[in-house]
Amino acid sequence: MKPRHGRAESLTIAASLALGALAWEVAGHSTSGAFWAPLSATLKNLWDITREGVLLRQCASSFQLYVSGLMLAIAVGAPLGVLLARVAWLRTALDPYIMMLYATPMVALVPFILSIMGFGFAPKVLVVFLFAVFPVIYNTVEGARSVRPELIEVAHAFRSREWQLWRDVMIPYTLPFTMTGIRQAIARGLVGMIVAEFFLSPSGLGQMIMMGSQNFDTAGMLSAILVIVVVGVGLMDLGRLLENRFAVWRGETR
Amino acid sequence: MGVNHRIEVRGAGKSFGSLQVFRDLNLDVGEREVLAVIGPSGCGKTTLLRCMNGLVPLSEGEILVEGARMTAPREGVAMVFQHFGLFPWKTVQQNVAYGLKLAGAAASEIGEKVPYFINLVGLTGFEGYYPYQVSGGMQQRCGLARALAVGPRVMLMDEPFGAVDAQTREILQFELLRIWEARPTTMVFVTHAIDEAVLMGDRVLVLKGRPAVVHEIVTVDLPRPRSRATLSDPRFAELREHVWGTLMADARRAEFEITR
Repeated sequence: MKPRHGRAESLTIAASLALGALAWEVAGHSTSGAFWAPLSATLKNLWDITREGVLLRQCASSFQLYVSGLMLAIAVGAPLGVLLARVAWLRTALDPYIMMLYATPMVALVPFILSIMGFGFAPKVLVVFLFAVFPVIYNTVEGARSVRPELIEVAHAFRSREWQLWRDVMIPYTLPFTMTGIRQAIARGLVGMIVAEFFLSPSGLGQMIMMGSQNFDTAGMLSAILVIVVVGVGLMDLGRLLENRFAVWRGETR
Repeated sequence: MGVNHRIEVRGAGKSFGSLQVFRDLNLDVGEREVLAVIGPSGCGKTTLLRCMNGLVPLSEGEILVEGARMTAPREGVAMVFQHFGLFPWKTVQQNVAYGLKLAGAAASEIGEKVPYFINLVGLTGFEGYYPYQVSGGMQQRCGLARALAVGPRVMLMDEPFGAVDAQTREILQFELLRIWEARPTTMVFVTHAIDEAVLMGDRVLVLKGRPAVVHEIVTVDLPRPRSRATLSDPRFAELREHVWGTLMADARRAEFEITR
């Protein structure tokens, strides 16, 4: 694969990040500690909570929630997408609901979920799931419906049975589309995770941000945010890597 | 014409809704005979080929391949497509193995046949490439190897060189002639190129009209094996002119019919 940045670009990025860090530091020193903490204080706080094991514990809690919701979204979304692509009447019947739910900001549903499901782990997983599932369904349906009819004809000409047609044509063709959905789900699920940790029973990184904010512990809040930023960037890269891995052959359209 | 007819077409007709594509086609294709099918666009050449493969049902009449009525694709018949029809997520090797795998061939048989046919079509060294990484001509070589690998007794060629550039097309024509000499089969070769029809066919079936009917069947008495030298044979030029005249006699009118 081609490196994403040339030497000059890498230097520019490094300079830009250094400048950002400097601005953060300067802003932290020139404002009240209740509003903003310098980068150095944030990093020190990050080091402290790492050493005390707080960060690891909270990350593990968040991770458990995130992975549960995301896995559920993939496990439900991909087969449901394939089913919807295959069964036309079901697709027609469910399409308005999917469109409505896809278009609705999921945050709006959180109070409702809270009132019917309360404060357990399950409602939080449901929130992450709802944030993540629709791109998986949507992209899978699009993929499975766009299978090139010539390829299906080739399969028929070679006397493929229905299940072989699925194994050899439909699923390999659809997989990269599902991966695009999963990449989007990875990003949306992270939002869902924080939302669930804010508005349902507080836990994990979301709780760290909330507590930091309530206790005027700005450095504590910023450390949690910084961790989320790094994790978010890492997950986006992972998503893109997954997508590319499963779509080697999309080179034909690139 | 001997009694060994691989393909028999009896009163075949096909309509899509109220549009009748062809009607009352009657013809036989012998063992190891190459029948080239030519006609103006929209005359149903490709549809006829699909009917011969059992991919598309006839509206009237019947098509028998080796005595059996074609209602679905069957063993012994393989097709090469104008659009190549390669699976983009499979390598050249995996694409060639596709038909064999579906036919339930043992791994040892696949391991033996796939390299043989890859070599026969001149793709050795490109086994691990994906279709998008090789040229159109190489993609069709792969499509050809995939069809040959299942050991067909009947090959149905749907404008196989229609989507490649003129130079590649010529190379592939002579490659196909060479391969056919090595493994002669019954072949129906649909094309819209007159040169190609005469070069490939033992007979050229000219379809014409709306709905299309058998306008003429031209016997091509050029000796085999054919090669580049065939193109400079005066008889080749005569036959080409003859087919051209047959096909183009009222082509102007046909063109206006199409545009209207």
